[in-house]
Formats: sequence, C-alpha cells, structure tokens
Amino acid sequence: MNVTGAHATVRTYLKVALVLTGVTILEVGSIYIRQLTPIIVPLLLAMSAAKFALVVLFFMHLRYESRVLTLLFCGPLLLATGIMIALMTLTGAFLVFGR
Amino acid sequence: MGAARSHRAPPAGHSRSAPVSWVLATASWITTVDHKRIGILYGVTAFAFFLLGGLEALLIRLQLAAPDAHVVSAETYNALFTMHGTTMVFLAIMPLNAAFFNYMVPLLIGARDVAFPRLNALSYWILLFGGLFLNASFLVGTPPDVGWFGYANLTSKQFSPSHSVDFWLLSLQLLGVSSMIAAINFIVTILNMRPPGMRLMRMPVFVWMTLVVQFLIVLAFPPITVGLIFLMFDRFFGSHFYDVAAGGDLHLWQHLFWIFGHPEVYILILPAFGIVSEVLPTFARKPLFGAPVVVYSGVLIGFFGFGVWSHHMFAAGMGPVADAAFSIATMLIAIPTGVKIFNWLATLWGGSIRATTAFHFAVGLVGLFTIGGLSGIMHASPPVDLQQTDSYFVVAHLHYVLIGGSLFGLFAGAYYWWPKITGRLLGERLGKLQFWVLFAGFNTTFFPQHYLGAIGMPRRIYTYAGATGWTLWNAVSTVGAFGIAAGVLLFMVNAWWSLRAGAPAPADPWDGRTLEWRTSSPPPPHDFDTIPPVLGRDTFWREKYGPRGAPPAPTHDHIHLPAPSHWPVVVGLGMAVLAVGALTHLTIVLMGALVTIVGIFRLALEHHRTPAHEHQTGGLGLDHRKVALWVFLGSECFFFGTLIATYLAYRGRSVVGPEPHEILNIPLTTVSTFDLLMSSLLMVLALAAVERDDRRHARLWLFGTAFFGLIFLAFQAWEFTQFVREGLTLQQNLFGSTFFVLTGFHGAHVAVGVVWLLSLWLLDLRGRLRAADAVKVEVAGLYWHFVDVVWIAIFTLVYLIP
Repeated sequence: MNVTGAHATVRTYLKVALVLTGVTILEVGSIYIRQLTPIIVPLLLAMSAAKFALVVLFFMHLRYESRVLTLLFCGPLLLATGIMIALMTLTGAFLVFGR
Repeated sequence: MGAARSHRAPPAGHSRSAPVSWVLATASWITTVDHKRIGILYGVTAFAFFLLGGLEALLIRLQLAAPDAHVVSAETYNALFTMHGTTMVFLAIMPLNAAFFNYMVPLLIGARDVAFPRLNALSYWILLFGGLFLNASFLVGTPPDVGWFGYANLTSKQFSPSHSVDFWLLSLQLLGVSSMIAAINFIVTILNMRPPGMRLMRMPVFVWMTLVVQFLIVLAFPPITVGLIFLMFDRFFGSHFYDVAAGGDLHLWQHLFWIFGHPEVYILILPAFGIVSEVLPTFARKPLFGAPVVVYSGVLIGFFGFGVWSHHMFAAGMGPVADAAFSIATMLIAIPTGVKIFNWLATLWGGSIRATTAFHFAVGLVGLFTIGGLSGIMHASPPVDLQQTDSYFVVAHLHYVLIGGSLFGLFAGAYYWWPKITGRLLGERLGKLQFWVLFAGFNTTFFPQHYLGAIGMPRRIYTYAGATGWTLWNAVSTVGAFGIAAGVLLFMVNAWWSLRAGAPAPADPWDGRTLEWRTSSPPPPHDFDTIPPVLGRDTFWREKYGPRGAPPAPTHDHIHLPAPSHWPVVVGLGMAVLAVGALTHLTIVLMGALVTIVGIFRLALEHHRTPAHEHQTGGLGLDHRKVALWVFLGSECFFFGTLIATYLAYRGRSVVGPEPHEILNIPLTTVSTFDLLMSSLLMVLALAAVERDDRRHARLWLFGTAFFGLIFLAFQAWEFTQFVREGLTLQQNLFGSTFFVLTGFHGAHVAVGVVWLLSLWLLDLRGRLRAADAVKVEVAGLYWHFVDVVWIAIFTLVYLIP
C-alpha cells in the first residue's frame, strides 16, 4: 500500500498560488518603501521562506506525505543552511547584507 | 515477468563455438544489472586501480629511500603523489567499499536486488570510464601534479597551463556523478527494500554504516562539485572564482574541498567499521556488544563529520574563534569513535574466539585505527597542529587511518565474504601469513614517519640532503613499503589459488549470524528462493539456534529479475567522450552529448511499458522513484546552497564594475518569477489530471508547465543578453562570474525540467501516459517545484536584498 495521503484539492492549489502571488508583490513592493529599510533584510528573508514553505508543503505535497520524505528533504536543507552560513562567516563575508 | 537473467556465463561445452561463447560471456558482463556481478566488477576494477596506486606509492618511496636521489624527476614525483592520493581515495578504497555494498547489502537485508539495477550498472561504468580518463593523462604526458587536494591557485591556468588539472577536475566530476547515483540507489534500497520484520534497528551494522556513508556522499559531494565547476569555469571560460587579483578568495576552494574532504574520510572508513562489526561477533560467537550504540555512534560520526572540515585549515589563519570551534568539534568526534572501539573490545571479551584470517584483519584494524585516531586528536589542537601541518607526521596519521583502518577492514571483508562470492574458501594459512607480512610492512613503513615528521621532514618533498638526519628512517620506511607490496602479492596468490583449487565453500562456512549465509555460496541470481524471515538482529543466528521452527520451504514463484541492459554502458561511454571532447574539440563534445542524451532517454524509456516496472512500492509504502527524487533534492540543497553562499560571500568584492544595483532589472525579473511560480500551479494541475486519467487536461497542463518554463528561459536569455551588452560578462568581474554561474545553473535545471515535461507530454500524446504512470509525472513535478523554490531563494537573495 502506498502511504501517500490524498493531495490538496485544486481549490487549495489555487489559494496557494494566490498567496504566492500576493507575497511576491509584497516582497517587491517593500523594497521601495523607505521606512522599511531597517528591517528589510529579515522581512524579505521571512517572506521568501514563507513562499518556499508553501511550495514545498502544498505543491510538493510534503504536508501530506510520509515523515521519511520530510526527513530526507528537511534534514539536508537545514544542514546545508548551517554549513553555508558557516562558510560565509569563515570567508569573512557574513553580514554581507550590511555592505 | 521480465526476462530472468543468467548469473553465470554459458558453459564452455555449450553448442556455440568458443569465440562466440566468449563474446556472449563478455556481453553478459557488459550488460549485467545483477547487483552481485556489478559488485564483482567494482571489486576487480578497484583492485586494479589499487595496484596502480600502490605502484605509484612504491616509486615515491624509492625516490625517498636515500638522500639526493633521482629515481624519478621532480615533475614526475609531483604527479606520482597526486595520482597516488587521487587513485587510492576515488578509484581504490571508495569502489572497493562499493564492491561490498553492491554484493552484500541486498543479501544482508534479504532483498533480491537494489532498487534501481540499471542505475547501479550506470554508476559502475561511469566509475570505470572516469578512472580510465584520469589515468589516460599519463599516456598523453600530462598527469595531474597539484596534489589530490588541488589547492587554488596552483590549479589556475597561470600555474598549471597544460591539461593536467583539466584531466583531474573532469575525472573527479565523472567519479562524483558515479558516486552520487550509487548513493541514491543504496539509500532507497536500504530504506525501502527491507523485507517485513527487517526494522531499522534489526539491520546488520554493515548495512547501517553503508546507509550513513551514502548520506555522506549525497550531501558532501555537491560542495566539491561546485568547487570543481568554479575551477572549470576559471580554466575554460576565464571566470574569477579563484583569482585574487579580481577579488577572489583562495580559501573558498579550501573550504569547499574540505567540506567534502572531511566527510570523505568517513566515507572511506565507516564501511570498514561496518565490516569489523560483522566479523568480530561471528568469530567471537557473541552478539555485537551494545549494537544500537555502535549504530548511533556511526550516525553521530557521520553527522559531526560535517562540522569539522576547517581543522584541515588551522594553518590558513582563520582566527581564534573559528580555530576553537573546529577544535572542539574535532575532539567531540573522538567520542563516538572511541565508543565503537570499546564496543568491539567488549564483544571479544569472554567470547569463544576463532582466530581466522578475517578475524586477524578485524582486530588489526581495531589496534591500528586507534593509533591513527590518537594522532588525529593531536591534530585537533590548533597549536599542535600548526607544528604538524604539512609534515610527515600527518602522512603517518592519515595512513594509519586509511590503511590501518580502511584497508585492513576491506581485507577482513574480503576473507570473510570471499566464500560467499566465489563459492571457494581462501587459504587460511596463506591468509594469516599475508596478515602478518602486511601488518609488519605497514608499521615499518608508517610508524617511522611520525618521527620523521616530528623532526621536521615536510610532506610532498621531492628529495632531501643527507645532513637532515632523515636518511635512516626513510630507508626503513621504504623497506616497509615493499613489505606491504609483498602482503598484497600474497593476497593475489591466495585468491588465484582459491579460484583454481580452493575448497568448495558451504552456504554458511563461518556459522554466520546474518542473512547472506542463509543462501548458497555463491547465491543464485535471485539471491533467495523465498524472502527470508527476519526474527531480530542476527536473524540467521536466531533462526538456527533460536526457539523458532523450520524455515519455510523454498519456492521459485513470481520472482522478477530485470533484463540486462546495454544503455548504462552507452551513457557512461557518452560521458567519457564528453570529457575527452572538453580537452580536444567541440565536435567531440557534441558527439558525447548526443550519445549521453540518447542513452539517457533510452535508459529511461526502456521499461516504460513493462508491467513489472509499473509498481515500485517498497517497504515504507513509498515508490522507489519518489524516495530517490527526494534524496536527490536533499543533495540539490547543498548544490544550490553552495552556489548561493559563494555569490553572497563574493558580493561587493569585485574590483571593477558593474555592480548588481547598477544592472539588475527587478521589474523584469518579478514577471519571470511570477511566471515560474504559476508554472508550479500548472504542474500540480497536470498531476491531478493524470491521476484521474483526464487525458485532455493532463496534456494541456503538462504542455502549459513546459511552456511557462520556456517563457522563463526566454526571460533569462534576454536578461543575459542585456547584461552582456551593458558590459557584464562572466569574465568582467566576480559579480559576473558568480551571477552567471548561479543563475545559469538554475536555468540549466529549468531547461532539463522543460525537456522532461515535454517528454511526458509527448508520451501522453501517443497514448502512453495513463493513471498508472502518475508517479512518473509526480516525480517530474517534484523536480519542477524544487527548481521553483530555488528561484524563490535566488530572487530574494540576489535581486531584492540591497
């Protein structure tokens, strides 16, 4: 038996696409708002992460899948993120965003 | 049921003439997809490369045997130590490990083959052609001579203008592809092909260590792949990744190399730990002491292995914080390693020991690896390491780990599993003689090198003056090297004798504990007549001596074995031709690309309509292909993570313009980003349509997804063209190099996705895509969505963040 659960409905897919569009508009819009400058980097990273998560959870069905697949993807994703942050730090380039 | 394959070549007395039989036998090996035969191919190939690497080592030792010697030229000496290291790591120890993975893992877990038999063959052929390509550099007179680590900028065109480095980097790319394919295959096999009852903690420790190693390969190879891609772009296309004058950082290569290089140490050693964990309990007639802890220790070693890479760079001047962090992490990794040593000793304690040759090698590993481990802890201290860096002390350390550890473990495995593989026993007396000759030769070679390093002898030195006081111990070391060679020769004699006149091996010659001993020696093509029952850890031991009744009667019903295929060798050959073309002429590149692409298509579609291949659901309840794709995506996180991290690390370091803010077109890219996001929506709609067998909508959405992908590529092509017009090229500055390589590789992924989707669309148009094929669309869709999420990250980090 395949443990893959039911995927999202077409209606859910459309909602996710709508949210992705909205967040993209917010992302692009926010870089033109001067008042957001102090928080622009974390804000953009948060919005990007939200979009990333929406695609992975709904379009890639990870929300409905076996935990094994979640582990197989999220484990390397987190490890890669940690190592790459360390790499940027070690090459003296961390906080490049401030330059 | 697919065509059953033959395990053995047709007998000589067959009605066909001898030459025809020989051709058929050869063809059967070339087209084999049987994990056991592929294991043998790996073993024979890797042993041949091992002999070649050993020959290179002997020449190195002859050159150093006496002061002011000129056995070889200085240039040849550089090539010898480069090729020795590269060969032993990538073409000998790794594939020797792979030989055991291939042959033993399915048998140990009670499976009939690996998850993807044809991919298994493909990984072997790429390895073979990659190895031949690397060594072809000798034939054209430009062997690599920059060390197995290839530090930048010694590898730049300026300092290595010949093809030597090109041979090295292209062959490493080929070998990386081979390792990656094999690793994904084994992860899926181990996770998804275990029979009922074979829970994770019931798996033999060797299988566990195999699993850990495959994850290390999948995650550690992408950073070195990216590092090699940077090098390739620098050398072939004039980019600036390792160009200090353009603002590049030479440490970047060292980081990328050692992010791979340190896990690589565990890729080499953990399989040997797994072998020892099988051999010692068998010959002590006791269960492995604290087996779950040995497993956890192996997993921890693998995990910590990703956090210690910079201890190879203490001398590079990283600063006290980084030095302290990596020093602590390195010392931490000694804990799980020490745990394993004590568990092996406790296994022996009170056991009913049978001191076979395999047992000798296993115990030898425990002792010798401990010495290598202890000198490793010394290197974990930055002040001590600074004294030892680039000295012969390090050479001694690494050989105690990789010969005392890996090679002794491999010999333990060879003596232990030889009867299972060949159906013949090796000579025990000759085996023990080999052990003692090798043990003495090894220690004579490498123990004095600790002292040589301590008194100041640098590694990779071509020759030395007699007044240095290094003469005696170098001479001793050279004598020891010939002892090692004698030990290896004794093994070859033993193997030859065994194959010709060795005593026939019963199914269970060692009174074994695991499933491979439950089937005949050698096993039949289908491994097991019935899928064996799994009663717990050491299941075969429990079956033999436990309270359970007789095992179920054998049956041959419904055994499917995949048919042989020649497409793996075609694809492997095509990739090798590509590499040759990269060094010769564009026409050859195009020929190689054509052969590779046609081969991949034929390989992918070979069994598209074979009913037996339709459902590939494994023990986890998941389709093999889906698990494989998710594992691949995990590795892609590292691949794109490295590309993005490099872009960010180099941001603002260009010494000439243009800068990103002067040139990036955010409104245009916003539109292309929206296009790609919407393509993901179309992709899920396509999958939903295929699942409900709605052919019309499936075609519409599949084509729509591919079309949106093409629009994205058109946007990218237009953007690239504009940039070039405005003066930003790959060669212009660091920004151009990092930007074009990052977005270019993303674009290449999109292009592959478009081709994949159009292929599915064409299949659908021809009525060959049904609801039963939904998993094929789902797997393509997962790849497509991943390409989408990578762009989400690139869009924010490259375009939006000021």
